[in-house]
Amino acid sequence: MLQGLRDQLKQLYQRWVNRRLPAASKIRLSNKRLFIFPTRAGFLFGGVLILLWLVATNFENNLVFGATFLLSAMFVVAIFHTFLNLSGLYVEAGRTPPCFCGGEAEFGILLSQKGRRYRDSISLYHRSSEAVVVSLPGTELAEVWLAVPAEKRGWFEPGRVTLETRYPLGLLRAWTYLDLKLCGLVYPRPIDAKGRLSSTAAGEGVDDLPGGREDFRGLERYRQGEALGHIAWKHYAREQGLHTKHFSDPVDEEVWLDWDAFPGMDAEARLSRLCGWLLAISSGSALYGLRIPGTEILPSRGEAHRSNVLRALALFDQAPRPRS
Amino acid sequence: MQPTWQTPRPALLWMLISVVTTLALHVRHLPLWLLGAAALTVLWQIQVYRGAWQYPAKYIKVLLTLLCFGGVLSSYGHLLGLEPMVAILVSGFSLKLLEIHHRRDALVLIYLAYFIIVIQCLFEQGIVTGLIVVLGVTIVTAALAGLYQSNHNNQTDSRGILGAWFRPFRSSAVIIMQSLPLMLVLFIVMPRVGALWAVPKEQGSGVVGVSDSMSPGDFSDLGGSSKVAFRVEFEGDIPAQSALYWRGLVFSDFDGRRWSQSGSWGYRDGSLLQWYGDKPEPWDSQATRRGDALTYQVTLEATNSPWLFALATPKPASQDVALTRDFRLYSKRPLSSKTQYRVKSWPDYNLEVSGLSSWRRKMELALPDGFNPETRAIAEQWRQESPDTVALLNRLLKLYNEEFIYTLKPPLLGKHTVDEFLWETKRGFCEFYASSFVFFARAAGIPARVVAGYQGGERHPSEDYLLVHQYDAHAWAEVWLEGRGWIRVDPTAAVAPERVEMSFADLFGENKDFLAGSLLSLERYRHINWINNLRLRLDALDYAWAKWVLGYGNMQTDLLTSILGRLDPLRVGLFLLAAGALAMLPVAVMSLLGQEKKYRDDLDKFFIQFCQRMERAGITRRPGEGPRDFAARIQSLRPDLADQVSSLTALYEQQRYNTATLDSRNLRLKELRLKLRRFRPYLRSKVT
Repeated sequence: MLQGLRDQLKQLYQRWVNRRLPAASKIRLSNKRLFIFPTRAGFLFGGVLILLWLVATNFENNLVFGATFLLSAMFVVAIFHTFLNLSGLYVEAGRTPPCFCGGEAEFGILLSQKGRRYRDSISLYHRSSEAVVVSLPGTELAEVWLAVPAEKRGWFEPGRVTLETRYPLGLLRAWTYLDLKLCGLVYPRPIDAKGRLSSTAAGEGVDDLPGGREDFRGLERYRQGEALGHIAWKHYAREQGLHTKHFSDPVDEEVWLDWDAFPGMDAEARLSRLCGWLLAISSGSALYGLRIPGTEILPSRGEAHRSNVLRALALFDQAPRPRS
Repeated sequence: MQPTWQTPRPALLWMLISVVTTLALHVRHLPLWLLGAAALTVLWQIQVYRGAWQYPAKYIKVLLTLLCFGGVLSSYGHLLGLEPMVAILVSGFSLKLLEIHHRRDALVLIYLAYFIIVIQCLFEQGIVTGLIVVLGVTIVTAALAGLYQSNHNNQTDSRGILGAWFRPFRSSAVIIMQSLPLMLVLFIVMPRVGALWAVPKEQGSGVVGVSDSMSPGDFSDLGGSSKVAFRVEFEGDIPAQSALYWRGLVFSDFDGRRWSQSGSWGYRDGSLLQWYGDKPEPWDSQATRRGDALTYQVTLEATNSPWLFALATPKPASQDVALTRDFRLYSKRPLSSKTQYRVKSWPDYNLEVSGLSSWRRKMELALPDGFNPETRAIAEQWRQESPDTVALLNRLLKLYNEEFIYTLKPPLLGKHTVDEFLWETKRGFCEFYASSFVFFARAAGIPARVVAGYQGGERHPSEDYLLVHQYDAHAWAEVWLEGRGWIRVDPTAAVAPERVEMSFADLFGENKDFLAGSLLSLERYRHINWINNLRLRLDALDYAWAKWVLGYGNMQTDLLTSILGRLDPLRVGLFLLAAGALAMLPVAVMSLLGQEKKYRDDLDKFFIQFCQRMERAGITRRPGEGPRDFAARIQSLRPDLADQVSSLTALYEQQRYNTATLDSRNLRLKELRLKLRRFRPYLRSKVT
């Protein structure tokens, strides 16, 4: 019965949150959307204030009173600062590159403001993710990548994201729950499929496929969330900013990725193997096609083709994209 | 190994500065070894941060804690009292520096720093202390802010690495500034309740003043302190200098060397103290008060004793002040800080005119056996020669006047202090005269006692109050005469009448012995005009501080009543809310204005700079000429600049007219700044 009551309360709360904080892909953080409450550090600070007040009272010392009141006033001023650190901020869902199941979906989130307020230490997190901290040091825009573990193939909606700040003194926490209608595509979990490649040899590599790891292709500016292993640290050390190294490989064969190549397995297992197979091929230089129930993609190659194939694998037997 | 939390660099810097500030504030009441130990922990933390050293192992920390505890115990001998408490706090505080593994450790350190810094106000309460405490609080707040600011690399912080270090302090200073109005409101409105329980007060460290006993001949240096003892604001004119005898203590007991107060056993008629507001004790009728009373307010510096000073014959007019059986004033608590009290005094009075009871007479005539035989013999002899009491006392005063010398550096005295002083050395200051006079009077059968307090004072030329310094400390005598009661006799006046008619400092200001101990005292140079003016200005400021800030508790009720008409919780609460909102208004306005800072300002600045440089190179932009036309003209005039100018103009136009996305805007702005920096059209040396 207690469990039932708790569930009911939870539902009530959810409904309240949904009504109070409606979903939108671009949200302005207004007074209505923001909550503020002292943190543990804030309560501890209150304890210090009480202690000082006791000292002032018992020693009847007006200077200690003055200092106590100064610190109390500071707490009140901090409420303004903490609140204004979020208030008026625009939060917007950005791009979300697809990811593989078992990996992390990176949701791009854009923060922007109209003026040039110094906003600092704004942290964003999802209940199953690490927090990312972002600042707008007098700038108008900032972009963060929130990495959330992707556990299911298909369209992935992480739901509400918490945005909070304790700036400037850590005494208070201002926060809001955002439903930015985040949605990302999750490819099947890739599993290495041995043998099974019905391939035909083609001529020498004509073109280079990007995204490989063999030949160095060049540097691009670092985007938050990219693999640390690819960062060009030497350039960073020379204070040329953060860049990542990009590689590519030469191409060679032609392959059919076939549903029937894995008899006796359930759909997910087949999709995972097809996916793993695809990855193995596409990092090589083959032309490849896909044949699964309801979908056939003719052999080709290139980034767009690869995405099409992966998308087909991801959306096999899935409901259409929600709320798109 | 647990994952250690890394203190943000600026936070660590400000934490270390906080620790140093805290130590510096308390340097005067901390033992030297503790300062050394604290300095060591600071060094240790720096080394840990640099990666040179490790945090100490647990057993070392335990050992250090025990050492500090033992050290405090051996330095003070006990753990009660304010100073040992501060010492323990400071040791714990600096040891905490050796275990900052989490943000909460840093928080503990910072909160302790707040506490210890504010505690400083219990030791000193001057304006300077007030300002230093505000500065200290700002520094500690900077450390706190440092913990919650993200560490931008210097690419995004336009002020560079130094800006990043300094930023916590900047935000802290802004917050403190914005807090000041609200603090003022709280200070004015928040009600003060009396002390909830007794607390250990500072143990008489270097507090000067009139002590509760007097032994002339034991020390021979009076020219000591130029500190202010108290300040008096009269309602009406300040009485003549020679009428300003500030009675503090009455000494009736003499043990041959030392004069001290008779304890509570001395008096036997009713309670010793008559509190302000209580009904008069039976002995109150012993004082006859006539004529108009002087009303005045005294602001007394901390003395750590309960004695208050007033003109004869006083009646208290403040809470927690009592009239004592010997008609002086007494405070409920020892004065650990500046205190204000109001007094009414009747200069025209008689004390115990109706006669002394036999036990009182005995008390005021008592002399210790075996001391000063010569004086006793001579007093007997004089008594027989002149039976008239007044004549006898005048004879003694005449003797002083003719043969004695007033000096601040008298010779030390042996066992029979009065004998040696009266008949051999004949040199001394007020205590010598008071002591010998009272002894002589008692030996001659006249009830007499010593009174200690202050005499005179300095009139503040512009602020209309009286400044009484420690060097105005004085001792005189009171003798009891049949039909007249207690009469004040100042034997010092017989030797050096100037001493009483002029202020002490006027008299000795240019004497080299005066304030020989304090070379740096402004007081010492009062004969130099501008220094004296400066000193008096500073004192007026100090007095205003004492009166309005330190003594605010006394006037809070009056002030609030005059504003609100009546004091009840609702009115006070509403007033607090209204005034508080008003105090926060500047913060709100500032925040709203800050939001819409012009983004384009930088851009305009760049363009103006660009035009200025072109002007130096000989090409001036025509009024109304657009950037693009201007660029075209430059390109035709100076083909060598074509590339630079076109790229600058393109960047400028992009910034101005495009709604750029993402971080490209900042990036471009930066690019523009860099390019413009290298743009020197007026230097023709380089060939492209």
